Amino acid sequence: MAKARALDKRRKSIRNIRKITRTMELIATARFKKAMDRATAATAYTSRITRVVADLAKSGLEVSHPLLETHAETKNAVLLVLTANRGLCGGYNGSVIRAAVARLTELQSTGAAVRLEVSGKRGISAFKFRRFSIDENFRDEEGNPIYVFEDQPRFADVEQIANRYATAYIAGKLDRLDVAYTRFISSSKQVAVVETLLPLGSLAEVEPGEPPGVVAGDSMYEFLPSAASILQEVVPASFKAKLFKCFLDAAVSEQIARMVAMKSATENASEMIKDLSMTYNRARQSQITGEIMEIIGGVEALKGK
Amino acid sequence: MATATLTGNIGKITQVIGSTFDAEFLEDQLPAIYNAVKINSNHKGVKINLTGEVQQQLGGGRVRCVALGSTDGLIRGQDVVDTGAPLSVPVGEATLGRVFNLLGEPIDDRGPVNATEYWPIHRAAPAVADLSTSTELFETGIKVIDLLTPFVRGGKAGLFGGAGLGKTVILQELIARVASSHGGYSVFAGVGERTREGTDLWIEMQEAEIGQTGRKVIEQTCMVFGQMNEPPGARLRVALSALTMAEYFRDATGKDTLMFVDNIFRFSQAGSEVSALLGRMPSAVGYQPTLATEMGALQERIASTNKGAITSVQAVYVPADDPTDPAPATAFGQLDAFLYLERSISEKGIYPAVDPLASSSRILDPNYVGEHHYRVARRVQGTLQRYRELQDIIAILGVDELSEGDKQVVHRARRIERFLSQPFLVAEVFTGKPGEITKLGDTIRSFEEICDGKWDHLPEEAFLYVGSIEQAEEQAKQMAKGK
Repeated sequence: MAKARALDKRRKSIRNIRKITRTMELIATARFKKAMDRATAATAYTSRITRVVADLAKSGLEVSHPLLETHAETKNAVLLVLTANRGLCGGYNGSVIRAAVARLTELQSTGAAVRLEVSGKRGISAFKFRRFSIDENFRDEEGNPIYVFEDQPRFADVEQIANRYATAYIAGKLDRLDVAYTRFISSSKQVAVVETLLPLGSLAEVEPGEPPGVVAGDSMYEFLPSAASILQEVVPASFKAKLFKCFLDAAVSEQIARMVAMKSATENASEMIKDLSMTYNRARQSQITGEIMEIIGGVEALKGK
Repeated sequence: MATATLTGNIGKITQVIGSTFDAEFLEDQLPAIYNAVKINSNHKGVKINLTGEVQQQLGGGRVRCVALGSTDGLIRGQDVVDTGAPLSVPVGEATLGRVFNLLGEPIDDRGPVNATEYWPIHRAAPAVADLSTSTELFETGIKVIDLLTPFVRGGKAGLFGGAGLGKTVILQELIARVASSHGGYSVFAGVGERTREGTDLWIEMQEAEIGQTGRKVIEQTCMVFGQMNEPPGARLRVALSALTMAEYFRDATGKDTLMFVDNIFRFSQAGSEVSALLGRMPSAVGYQPTLATEMGALQERIASTNKGAITSVQAVYVPADDPTDPAPATAFGQLDAFLYLERSISEKGIYPAVDPLASSSRILDPNYVGEHHYRVARRVQGTLQRYRELQDIIAILGVDELSEGDKQVVHRARRIERFLSQPFLVAEVFTGKPGEITKLGDTIRSFEEICDGKWDHLPEEAFLYVGSIEQAEEQAKQMAKGK
């Protein structure tokens, strides 16, 4: 019976795992909808602001802003890594961390001093394990993550970070800002990328995935009081929006990754339970058959005496 | 039945049931239990030369005997001669280089055996006071054995495994490794296995040399066969015949003797067949009720005494891959070291398919093998144990869900798993690689370095079928070149 009992025990533990993964799948599905709504809303805003900026650029103005200028030398860089607070989301954290580590070693090899800023418990523990020192992990004095970005990153929080980077960049204390996160392309495709947000580069740059025709429209705006003063406002706003979008994308992708991972985990668990049940039933049946045969054999042997 | 015709030690067959037969003797001349009885007749052109062994005295002058050969052509009323003693086999130097059946008759077509001494196959086990408790490690050059299940010089080792996992190959490998560098004598008992394998081994031993002496292994070896085709009585007693020869070498010459048995399960199986024919009530899983007694009587005799040592290696078939089956389970308790061969490992193509977690040895203890060896062995087992625990989680959630520490454990465990494989001398034709004899020191160092993470960068395949870790590195380079 030893074998059958061991099988049953294993089957029970897999049932428990399945319970967890199924629940996680349902939660992820619900959260995904919320995150998705926010992301779509934000996408509309960012693409609009990009279009406005592109129009501005087209208006023949001399576009200049400190955030747009590339510093001659990259001495101080920041790598911001956006990971999840929780696991059970397949390769989501793993691929962001892999991409980030690659960029990190690349930056370090150029001789720049890289500040590593990590959001999300998973990322923090992964970098700690790899013995990278983390300069900023977004925690308060009690050690709790302050920016619980989760599925609903708040703009106010992101704005605060964005302001910090922008100030440092303008002051020359920061020469480059890279963000490693999972870009949401469609609900069936998300890619871990490392994007350079500062220097902001060309304003007219088309959002990836945006149909070019939308941007190409001729300027129909009149800029009041002047294009230059609007530019002063729009460039930081565009930077903030871009950063915020990174957070939103990361949040949506996390939920999708979790949904997919948990769905397949639940299926795997069900498959395993099926196999185990079959082996268990067989073991149990053969046990019973064996015992019956022994008893009958014994009876027969006694009859002959 | 005409009792009047019975005279002295001659009786008559009264009944033949399969490979057992009953014989009637004079009431006051009954042969003792375990006495050998002989039937020699030429009835209607059917020549019969059969030896039987008395198993039961039924009362009324009748005894029940187990035939040690074929009972074909046996008829009631034939004369049965009581030899007055148990079966005896030739022992001593004259047996070296020869092949016997269980009766001690040569079956290698090389003329009669000029033995001066014959010993009965039923003997008492050595007394408690005479036993020696050696704890010296017996190096084999096989990594997984030396590291995790070190054999004991003068001890007993078992190879457990289901059908087709390579028990016989490992046994032959050990013969090739150990017998060829061994100074003493070797005895091989073929119990209920394929005759072909016995012939292969015999031919191989005639070709292999002992070290650099120019002498053949067979000159220091005697072989006793009672293979599958033999009736159960023969398979039941062949191990005892071989053991008697080994005992003589131990007691009379004092040299270290090696004893190989393939396959001890067949001994239990034959016992079960005989038991059923004798009309004993079957016990658990249909085995004989005397299973443990029989096994104990055999195993207790394979022992090292003050006079000399018998180091034995036994293959044990595990029916239906179920180690809780009574036959392997009773053998299991008798051994100093046991290797458990696992189907899931052989399915991965890793040979020898030793399960590093189910196998163990009495001397894997810091007092015997040293602190360092013990620590490395436990680390290897710990890593593999953790990997096994994680396997369900990996199957359900995927490797990505593991914590960083666990990922590293899995990474190293997969390498260790492969590194436990080794090319064999006797399997050269299958692997295409010459056999590797790895020194114990190299083995321990290699595994320690893997556990320390020194070789994390090598691909998994580089660890398959190599000797020391340097060869894995070499193999990795070759693989990189090949791409």
